[in-house]
Amino acid sequence: MTSVDAVDQVIEAGAAPRSRRPRKDRPAGTPKMVGARGGAMRAGGSVFRWIALVIATVLFLVPFWLLIRNALGTDNDIGSTSFFPRHPQWHNFTDLFSANSDLGFGRAMMNSAIIAVVQTTGSLLIAAMAGYGLARIPYRHAKLVFYPIVLTLMIPGAVTFVPSFVLMSAFNWLDTLKALIVPGLFSGFATFLFRQFFLNFPKELEEAARVDGVSYWGAFWRIVAPNSLAFTSALAVIGFIGSWNAFLWPLVVAGNSPSSYTVQVAMSTFLTAQVQHYPQLFMAALVSILPLVLVFAFLQRYLVRGVAETGIKG
Amino acid sequence: MSAEADLAGAGQIGTGTRGRSAKPGAKRVKGATLWFWVFVGPFTAGLLIFAVVPIIWGLILSFFESQNTVSPQHFVGFQNYVDMLKDSAFVDSLKVFTIFAIFIIPLTFALALFLAVLVNQITFMRTFFRSVFFLPTAVSYVVASLIWKQGIFNNDGLANHVTSGLGGSDQSWLSSQHPPLYWIPLVTVRLWLQLGFYMIIFLAGLQRISPDLYEAAYVDGATPGWTTFRFITFPQLRATSIAVVILNLIAAYQAFDEFYNLLGGANYGRPPLVYLYSTALGTSQQYGLGSAGAFILAIIIIIFTLIQGRIFGFGRTDD
Amino acid sequence: MPAFNPPISRRSILSGAGGVAALAALGATAGCGSGGSKDLSQWYHQYGEDGTKQAAMRYASDYKKAKKVGVKVQWTPGDYATVLSKGLLGNKGPDCFESQLNYTMVKSKQIIPLDDIIDPVKSDFNPSDLAPNTIDGKVYGIKMIDDPQIFYYRKSMFTKAGVQVPATLNDLVATAKKLTSGKVKGIYAGAQSDSGLSALTTSAIFASGHTNLTADNKDVDYDNDDVAEAISLLHQIRSDKSVLTGAATDWTNPQTFLDGKCAIQWCGLWAMPQIQKALNDDFGIFAFPAVGSKGKQVVYNGGWTQFVAAKSKKQSKAKDYVKWLWIEQSALQEDWSLSYGFHIPPRKSLAAKAKKLQSGPPADVVKLANEHGFGDNPYWTPDVGQPQTDAVTNIVLKGKDAKKELDAAAKKSREALKKQ
Repeated sequence: MTSVDAVDQVIEAGAAPRSRRPRKDRPAGTPKMVGARGGAMRAGGSVFRWIALVIATVLFLVPFWLLIRNALGTDNDIGSTSFFPRHPQWHNFTDLFSANSDLGFGRAMMNSAIIAVVQTTGSLLIAAMAGYGLARIPYRHAKLVFYPIVLTLMIPGAVTFVPSFVLMSAFNWLDTLKALIVPGLFSGFATFLFRQFFLNFPKELEEAARVDGVSYWGAFWRIVAPNSLAFTSALAVIGFIGSWNAFLWPLVVAGNSPSSYTVQVAMSTFLTAQVQHYPQLFMAALVSILPLVLVFAFLQRYLVRGVAETGIKG
Repeated sequence: MSAEADLAGAGQIGTGTRGRSAKPGAKRVKGATLWFWVFVGPFTAGLLIFAVVPIIWGLILSFFESQNTVSPQHFVGFQNYVDMLKDSAFVDSLKVFTIFAIFIIPLTFALALFLAVLVNQITFMRTFFRSVFFLPTAVSYVVASLIWKQGIFNNDGLANHVTSGLGGSDQSWLSSQHPPLYWIPLVTVRLWLQLGFYMIIFLAGLQRISPDLYEAAYVDGATPGWTTFRFITFPQLRATSIAVVILNLIAAYQAFDEFYNLLGGANYGRPPLVYLYSTALGTSQQYGLGSAGAFILAIIIIIFTLIQGRIFGFGRTDD
Repeated sequence: MPAFNPPISRRSILSGAGGVAALAALGATAGCGSGGSKDLSQWYHQYGEDGTKQAAMRYASDYKKAKKVGVKVQWTPGDYATVLSKGLLGNKGPDCFESQLNYTMVKSKQIIPLDDIIDPVKSDFNPSDLAPNTIDGKVYGIKMIDDPQIFYYRKSMFTKAGVQVPATLNDLVATAKKLTSGKVKGIYAGAQSDSGLSALTTSAIFASGHTNLTADNKDVDYDNDDVAEAISLLHQIRSDKSVLTGAATDWTNPQTFLDGKCAIQWCGLWAMPQIQKALNDDFGIFAFPAVGSKGKQVVYNGGWTQFVAAKSKKQSKAKDYVKWLWIEQSALQEDWSLSYGFHIPPRKSLAAKAKKLQSGPPADVVKLANEHGFGDNPYWTPDVGQPQTDAVTNIVLKGKDAKKELDAAAKKSREALKKQ
């Protein structure tokens, strides 16, 4: 899933309910859980519920178990039925970064980190500014800017990868971080979301400041931006995950040179390599998801809110 | 896809602009033009270069024969489009998408709703369960494909251990055609990765249903369970449900990662984007043909979008 | 929407602006990764044998010592063919690279003729290594190594199952079935998801007494009953469940065979040292067996060839390097052919003194390759070949009617031939 997809999904999710429900129905913050009404649970239903939950939990965790077991195993452990390797191969981790490894994993992690951080911050900044301009600054021809955005939103990013590859090739940007970062900085979806967000943002504060002679620039940075951080960080988390996990575009423009591999492309390449050392590949996969697991551990609240709030509440 | 929603918003910008410019007078608007471009300019420039130019260039290429080079060579008119539509492999890829959608959409819908209802009903350890189901959202398709290909569905993987444990024989999960077992890895990997995301959307929908509706039903003698789900919960989730179906459909249409990584260059189970990738960027490097294919796909998806907008009619009734 | 408590300080958003500012610098540094340097760029696919990568880099550093010209080696795991095609398109491609010649590369001006560097030693090259690299009288590539592909089999498993080395493809089908028991499969020929048998396609066609293209390269020769029979037999192996699928390593790597997961594996001469070391005498080899009335046993003689990219801005330097390594340095050529995996040197002088290939199973392979070998045809381009590949998958994997599929594919191949 690309970052555009992620934002796309949020916007889509937001589209339908907005049209159905009057705004006053929506309580702010996290509403009380409906199904949890006191005393409504019945013993029979409860047992079924817990059995279902436990089965689902096991099914959801099995792939993680395989990932960890295989990452710490030997070639022989991979096809085995043992729950955990008898002799965990901790050196699989250090081997990943050794000079003998063809995987180039350290480099790929670095590339992915640079791309994800720069792309997330850059695209949000550009989108927030554009969204603010479209929502707030009275300019007669704003529609001329806005309608093309709407049009490009209709064409899914993935379908345009052939023409976009052609452009990158013409720019001589293939196999550089530029090709991986720059086209992703201009997200129509994020801009659209920010515009909607700012349209619902109370005007009074800004207008008071503007009367005091504060420019649009000042109002944006001093009043609007600090009050949009929850919204922005929700989008940032979604954007970061999308950028880190992106595959098709990095494969298309940077799949040629190991020096520009992202971590996803590197792993995919080695999935079909002539020489296989699967424990190392599983270890690479395990390490590659660690940054996102950290994001989950510390920012899940915002992520969940991001999906739910920006999605369901427009 | 989102055009309908946008149109609703587009109306707002018109009124907003007019309303404000009327007040402060002409001088203000003059400064506003400059500020508008300071804020919107970078984005507009980027969009022009990285979205509009490629689309135009691709459109031009699609009318040319252009192999092993990205500059137009010989003008061929609509031949690339004709070739693409006559190409049985391209048509097959649309069928693959259809089959995939038929599997993945109802399954995702039912299971995500089921999980959401389960998680919503418990009070104990709710965050734990929600986190478990949501966690795979952080995992990439590449990592999941590695686990599926070399951990579960390989020759001595988990799936074969299970089948032989149950007395069956080993299966070629990723290549068997009779029956087409390869759909099992393809569908399960996507379910694992995306159920949590849709569960969250359903959860948010569930939590927005007014408790009063249930209370009223109980007063009328309804008991919690299937009846209230059927007559209150499900109808109240209508808008969320439509969003989930459409999101899923668009995502399925753009499926690439798991097909590419699980099936490699196989000529079965090839959805549109994988076929497009191999046409344009595989060893034969047919950029003209590939661009034509891209435009055919774009047109199909836009038609989809418009039809859905018509059927479900959202965006039009924004209060 | 009410504002939540900001989880992130305002500074972090502002640092985002710094991030964008840093972008230009980033792009610039990444940009000069490979293209901007003075070094020549040389691309290899990933060889499976230990020490090959180090050897390739050692040759490059030897050259730097001798001629003061740096060479940057790119070792490419995964789908080398696709990576190379894309590389040759842009300006960040290799200056020189290994591949197999096809006519499209010449037609789209991706490579340059190398007659001037090969002419002095042309007579030392095996004619079968020159012909596939010659188009319109010009030699475009220097053959580096010859790689005959053959079946390896476990003698002990054959004895236990009471089977002989198969003489025909029909025998092979029956033998593989007898050798299959439980987890151990009769035959292994690839981990690709297509059919597990696609590596055998070309050999099966030639073993039926036909070829991909007719002698004048103007028509295809695979839409006939003999080829249909051969491909149908591959389907038979598959539907008998005698073929191993979902293995961890591909057919080019002998590991699956060494692990005892199959009795027969399709592989190449390159794997010989590894197999000899692991199994001693418990293995043998045989060529792809004959099929049908006109059939004969055959050995597909693959290998790799060195080219100089037409887009290279350092063409003459690249040519000098190719000449140095693949024409002049016979010691290094010998090292590449014999020190890691085994390959037959394309140079007669080197082949004559390749002791390691002159006794035991390696000698058997060389003999088979000399007597029954066939090589690549540059006019068999990806566009012409693709319909056939698809047809074979449809037959082998999906069990579709062989003759019908091949006829339909041949029609498409002919159209592609006309275009080129």
